[in-house]
Amino acid sequence: MIEFDEKERRMVLKLVYYGPALSGKTTNLLQLHDLLTRQGRGELMVLDTSGDRTIYFDLLPFFLTAPSGLKIKVKVYTVPGQVCHDATRKAVLQRADGVVFVADSNRAEAGSNVTSFDNLERNLSLVGLDIDSIPLVIQFNKRDLPAAVPEEEIRTTWDPTGIPVVLASALNGVGVSETFAVLAGLVYDRIDARFALAATHGLTRERFIAQLTSLKEEP
Amino acid sequence: MSADTLHFVVGEEKKVRELLLDADVIPLLKGALAAGASCARVTGDDGEELWGACAPAGRGELIRTLPLLLEGEPVAHLELFGAPEGRERLEPLASLLIVALDTVLRNSLKRVLTTEIHTSVVNSSHEELVAMNAELTKSEARYRELAENLELRVKERTAELRRTQAHLLQQERMAAVGQLAAGVAHEINNPLGFITSNLHTLQKYVARFCAMLQFYREHLELEQPRERLVAEAETKWRELKLPHVMADVGDLMAQSLAGAERVSRIVADLKGFSHVDESGDSVVDLNQELERTLTLLSHQLAGRAEIVKELQPLPEIKCQGQLPGQIFLNLIQNALTHAGASPRITLSSCFDGERIRISIADNGPGIPSALRGQIFDPFFTTLPVGSGTGMGLAVVWEAVLKLQGTVAVADAPGGGADFIITIPAGRN
Ligand SMILES: Nc1nc2c(ncn2[C@@H]2O[C@H](COP(=O)(O)OP(=O)(O)O)[C@@H](O)[C@H]2O)c(=O)[nH]1
Ligand SMILES: [Mg+2]
Repeated sequence: MIEFDEKERRMVLKLVYYGPALSGKTTNLLQLHDLLTRQGRGELMVLDTSGDRTIYFDLLPFFLTAPSGLKIKVKVYTVPGQVCHDATRKAVLQRADGVVFVADSNRAEAGSNVTSFDNLERNLSLVGLDIDSIPLVIQFNKRDLPAAVPEEEIRTTWDPTGIPVVLASALNGVGVSETFAVLAGLVYDRIDARFALAATHGLTRERFIAQLTSLKEEP
Repeated sequence: MSADTLHFVVGEEKKVRELLLDADVIPLLKGALAAGASCARVTGDDGEELWGACAPAGRGELIRTLPLLLEGEPVAHLELFGAPEGRERLEPLASLLIVALDTVLRNSLKRVLTTEIHTSVVNSSHEELVAMNAELTKSEARYRELAENLELRVKERTAELRRTQAHLLQQERMAAVGQLAAGVAHEINNPLGFITSNLHTLQKYVARFCAMLQFYREHLELEQPRERLVAEAETKWRELKLPHVMADVGDLMAQSLAGAERVSRIVADLKGFSHVDESGDSVVDLNQELERTLTLLSHQLAGRAEIVKELQPLPEIKCQGQLPGQIFLNLIQNALTHAGASPRITLSSCFDGERIRISIADNGPGIPSALRGQIFDPFFTTLPVGSGTGMGLAVVWEAVLKLQGTVAVADAPGGGADFIITIPAGRN
């Protein structure tokens, strides 16, 4: 958690989209930005310096208010996937409240997925977070690719770990808000246990998720 | 433990006051006045005015209030006032102004984030290798081979970092010396300029003296009556304006000689400061080194900064001669950079029987206690990225270390930074 100010009744949470370079993290944020209602979210800030590779990170902030008046700001970040930006990844991971790991379904990228996941595991422990208890969702992106690894194979690998897996095609807006909703639910459970969101602030799980993921009405 | 080595968390909340400078906002607000508004101000979320610009004629009517967003949250409001008749023109002006403010704020946030990331990356990449190595050594049995490799890499990397750092320190020393050289060049050029122009004038005067002598030589041969010779000589004398020339020539010579002396004094100071003629350690009086540094900086200081000296007699110390000058030069230049429009620099020295204590205090904004641990680090700078390598104080740190002393920063009385150097002395 970035900040909890009881007097100001303000809470700032941090969620991180992690994964190998070019797996579609920025695309996820771009789609969230476009799919979700304007009310309750800020503008997307893309801190890139060249081409399509995120050199630093992207940020998309969300806002919601609990019935008690507690203001919650959720800052969603992506990390740079390139191996050389490990220090940046750690700085972004620090005090994260939840992580989406965006894996690339392309079979050729299987190795990068593994390397990046190992890197996530190590960096979490380096910044003092526990991979077994931090809210974590795996998104297998680019399902639209013909060379995508079959779903069965993914299930065999990941189901035993208990980590929820969402299939997506971020480029086409498929599975993007679903991924975000699954993570939001896990994050809610964790924060609720510590800060009694429901009991003290009247904020239920459903309401938390709904406020973060309310889709735009079709015009 | 690695969590402690990262000093910066991405995502920490920033305040609008930390991100926008007066220099960013005020010109925009003034621009609005120039475009016809009678008052433009930015207020914080508690309604308090953060920045404002108003025409002397008074505020007029509130035309528009627009929120200024930071990461999507309203953190301030723009209020634009003017004559009601101008509303049609002023409303678009307000929209334009908020777009401008928004752009400045967004860029500033990006810049801050990028800089902070940079800093944490520089700080952590070395520590990261060390930490990784430590971790691996723990599970030695499994990773012995890898650990050995890593140790090698850490060593290589450490050596590489040292080399870069040494190189940057050297560059900074050169930069300080470069600035100094520019100042000194000016100091020398000045007297040299008038010496040259005096010589030109003297050349013309000498030609006239020669003409006069020539006149006598020729006329003496003619064996004219004496009265006639005297009268003609007098006319020639006046024609050549010799009364004026004679009066001026003494001044010109005296001035030129004084100029030449000034040049040789500056050169002597420079030699003294750089200790070029000495090899190995020399015996120096730190007060004298301070004075020399001031003399060399006199061009940068004259008319711009007030220097207060409170120097007490000091014992001499033995050291590499150029170190004290390096320390004083960097600290005084640092004070000049940070002390604002009318710098006052107070130099004091004293000796307590064991240690020499020298303090260089300025009347600038001072150094927040949170930054005091970092200012002597290589790369640290409070100036905008790109305007300095941030190595000046690191040079000081390194030089003080070579004198077996310490340097610390405290609050100067009445604000400002006070750099205190303590050097052991008195044990011969
Ligand atoms: N085919 C396909 N391409 C995608 C999908 N999502 C992202 N991409 C592409 O993958 C590339 C990298 O995406 P980006 O979001 O910049 O990756 P990041 O490095 O993880 O931020 C871009 O060319 C995207 O258009 C997807 O679902 N399907
Ligand atoms: Mg990206």
